[in-house]
Amino acid sequence: MSELTHASTQKRFIGGQLLGSSQLVLGAILAVLCIAISIAAPQFYSEANIIAILRQCALVLIVASGMTMLIITAEVDLSVGASLAFVGCIGMAVLNSTHSLALGMLAALAFAGGVGLFNGLVVTRLRVNSLIATIGTMMMLQGGVYLFTREAVQNHNQLASFTDLGAGYVGAVPVPVILAALIFVVAYVTLRFTTLGRYLYAVGANEKAVRLSGLRSERLKLLAFVVTGLCVGVAGMILSSLMNAGQPTAGRGFELTVIAAVILGGTSLLGGRGSLFGTLLGVLVLKVIDNGIIILGWNQDLQMVVPGIVIILATYLDIIRNKANVR
Amino acid sequence: MSVDFLHPGEGAAIDTNVPALEMRGIGKRFPGVVALDNVDFTLEPGKIHALMGENGAGKSTLIKIMAGVYGKDAGTIRMRGREVDIKSPRDSLKEGIKVVFQEIALISEFTVAENIFLEGYPTGRTGSIDWKKIRADSAALFNRIGFNVDPAARTGSLPVSQQQMVEIARALAHEARVVVMDEPTSSLTPNEVSLLFTVIRRLAALGIAVVYVSHKLDEVFEIADTVTVLRDGRHISTRPIGEHTNDTLIQDMIGRRIDNLFPRQRGAAGSKVALSVEKLSTAKKLIDVSFEARAGEVLGFFGLMGAGRTELAKAIVGYDPIISGTIAVDGQRLAPHDTRTGVRLGIGLLTEDRKSEGLMGELPVYQNASLASLGAFARLGFVDKAKEHQAVQDYVDRFRIKTPSLFQQIKNLSGGNQQKVLISRWLMRGLKVIVVDEPTRGIDVGAKSEIFALIDRLAGEGLAVVMMTSEMPELLGLADRIAVMCEGRLTAIMSREDATQEKILNAAIG
Repeated sequence: MSELTHASTQKRFIGGQLLGSSQLVLGAILAVLCIAISIAAPQFYSEANIIAILRQCALVLIVASGMTMLIITAEVDLSVGASLAFVGCIGMAVLNSTHSLALGMLAALAFAGGVGLFNGLVVTRLRVNSLIATIGTMMMLQGGVYLFTREAVQNHNQLASFTDLGAGYVGAVPVPVILAALIFVVAYVTLRFTTLGRYLYAVGANEKAVRLSGLRSERLKLLAFVVTGLCVGVAGMILSSLMNAGQPTAGRGFELTVIAAVILGGTSLLGGRGSLFGTLLGVLVLKVIDNGIIILGWNQDLQMVVPGIVIILATYLDIIRNKANVR
Repeated sequence: MSVDFLHPGEGAAIDTNVPALEMRGIGKRFPGVVALDNVDFTLEPGKIHALMGENGAGKSTLIKIMAGVYGKDAGTIRMRGREVDIKSPRDSLKEGIKVVFQEIALISEFTVAENIFLEGYPTGRTGSIDWKKIRADSAALFNRIGFNVDPAARTGSLPVSQQQMVEIARALAHEARVVVMDEPTSSLTPNEVSLLFTVIRRLAALGIAVVYVSHKLDEVFEIADTVTVLRDGRHISTRPIGEHTNDTLIQDMIGRRIDNLFPRQRGAAGSKVALSVEKLSTAKKLIDVSFEARAGEVLGFFGLMGAGRTELAKAIVGYDPIISGTIAVDGQRLAPHDTRTGVRLGIGLLTEDRKSEGLMGELPVYQNASLASLGAFARLGFVDKAKEHQAVQDYVDRFRIKTPSLFQQIKNLSGGNQQKVLISRWLMRGLKVIVVDEPTRGIDVGAKSEIFALIDRLAGEGLAVVMMTSEMPELLGLADRIAVMCEGRLTAIMSREDATQEKILNAAIG
C-alpha cells in the first residue's frame, strides 16, 4: 500500500501539470528548433534577436492567456483579431480627443471587454455555438471598424507614456514583454491555484455536472469571454503604440495564431484539459519559427506554411504519446 | 432467400447435431491486459445462450471477436463444423454471424428498408436499385419475425426497440445462423422487453443460435436455455439454466458469495420532513406531483419508461424549470430552476447518466470528488490542496474506492467506483436530501451490493434518500416507502410492508 502511494506521488511529480504530456513534446520541439536555427545562423542567439523574439511573443501571449482560459471552458473566440484592430482605432481616437493615456486605455478595455461580454452573452444566453457566434462578431467588427474610420487613426499627441507602452524598456526588457509576463502569471496562478481556475476546468470537462453541483456554469463561461476580451484590449493598445496609429487592417489572422499557440500547447478544444505553461511554449515555438525564417532569409510566405505543419505534427505526436500511455 | 424462416423444417434443413458456432481456446491480449484466456464457447442451433459476467470479464471482447471487430490472438472458430477465419465485420456477416450491439449501428438518416439491405441492394435490369423489391422484401422479413416496422420510416425517428427489430431483420436478410444480442434491454420498457423476448424466441424456433449478453439475472432466467459465465477473461462455467439459482449465478460471476444483496443496517426512519413537494408540474411531463420525504428514510419511486422519474428528479433539485408547484427543503422554499440555492439548502442529485451529467472524465478523482465542496477547502479563493486531498482520501478509504491514486482520471475507474466518487462529491458537501436516479445503472453485480449498502448508510446518517428506479428488486430491497408514477402523475404511495409487485405494477400502468 505504501509502495502504491509512493509510486503515485512520484508519477505526479514527474507527470504533473507543470510538465504534462504534450509539454514534453513541445519543449523538445522548441529545443530542436533553437539548436537548428542557431547552427545555421549564429546571430539567432544575439541579445537583440532574443529581445525581438520576446517582443513578438508578447502580443500573442497576452491574448493567448485569456484564450487558454476560454478554450479550457470548451468555448472559443474567433473575433479577437478583428477586435484587436478595432480596439486600437478606438483607443487612439479617445487618446487624441482626451490627451489622456488612462482614458484611452479605459476606452480600449471597455470596448474589448464589451465585445467579450457580447460574445459571452450570445453563447450562454442565446446558446449559439461559440465558433459561429464569434465568427459573426468577427464579421461585424471587421465591417464595423470601417464605419468607424476609413483610414488609420494617426497619433496626434505623441504622449511619451503611450509610446512607451509598445516601444519602451524597463532595463533591457521591453514594456510589452513585462505586461505579457504579468498577465501570464496572473492567469497561470488563477488556473492552477484558485477555485475559479478549478471551476473553469470543471465547466469545460462537464458543464452539466458543474451545474448540478450548484455552480453557475454560464457565469463562468461569461467571465472567460470577458477576460479574453480584456486581454485583447491590452494587446490592442500595445499594437497601436507600436504602429503609432490605430490601423483598421491590423490583426488579420491574429486569432489563428493565438488559437494555434493554445492548441499547440496541449489545450483541448473539447475543454477541461490544458495549461498556460503549454500555451507559453506554443507561443515560443510559433515565434521562434517566424524569427528563424526571417534570419535564415527564407521566403516569408513560409511563416504561415511551417506553423501549419508544426501544429499537425505536434498534435499527431501527442496522440501517439497518449496511445503509448494507455495500458 | 431460399430459407423459409416461418417453417424451418421445410427450408434448408438445419442439422441440430453440429454446433452453429464453436469457439475453442480463444485468446486475446491488449497491451498489458489479457482480455481473454483460453475461452471455449459453443452455440447450439435453435438455443438461446446467455453470456454473463461483470464489466471487464471479457464478454464484449468475445462478441467483438465473433463480429470481426477484433482479431483473436489464439484459438479456432468453426461455423457448423467448418473452420473459418474472421478478419473483418464483413467476414463475420458473410459467415452468418450478426451482432446487434447496444449502440445500434444503423444509419439514422436512411430508411428502414435501405438499412436492411445496406450490404447489397437488389438491382433491376438497368442496374438501378430496385426500391420496390427492397420495400417488399423488408416487409416480408418483418412478417417473419412477427413484428412490424414501416420499411419506409426514417430509421433515426424510431425508438431503440424498433431499431433493434431492424437489426434483427437485417440478420435474417443475411441468413444469419448466429444472432448476438448485446445488452438489448438496457433502454427498453417492460412492454418492449416482452416483445423482444417473443422475437428472440421466434429466432430460436427458426433454428438460429441466439447469444444473449446481459447482466440482468431475471431476464436470463426468463429467456436463456444455457448460461456461460466469464470472469477476468476466463471461462468459468457453462450450464443449463435449470442448474442455476440466483446465488450460484452471482457466485460464478463475482467469484465469491454475496450473502445479502440488501444489507439493512439503518434503524427506522424518523418523522421529520426533509423534503416536501407540492403540486409540482413541468411543461414536458409532470402533473401535480405532491409528496414528502422524511429524514432517515429511503423513498423509492418506481415507474415504467417515460413515467417521469428522471424529470421529477431533475425538477426537485432545481436543474429543470417547473411551471407550478413548490419545493421545500427543511421547510425552506427552493427557488425553482436554480441548482445553486438547491445545493445551498441541501438537496442534490446523483444522476442516472453518469457520463454526461456526473463525471468529469478527463479530470482526476480528487477534483471529481471535491467539485461541490471546493469552497470549503479554499481561503481567499486559493485552494488548500493538502486539506482537499486529505478529505478526498478519507472518502476513498471509507468507501473503499478502488483507484491507483487520487490523480487517476476518473474515466479509468469502474462504474461502481465512479459512482462511489460521485456519492462522495455530495457527502463532502453535506446534504439533507439526496436524489438518486437509477443508482446502479451500468454497475456490476458485485459492486451493486456496495452501492446498496452505501445508500442504506446515507439514510442511516439521517439523510432523506429519494431513489428513482426501474429495478423492482432494488425498490423492494431498499425502500421504506414506495411511490409509483405513471405518465407524469403520482399514482400511489405505499409503505414497504403494504407493497407487492402486483400492486406496484398496477399503479405503474395507471
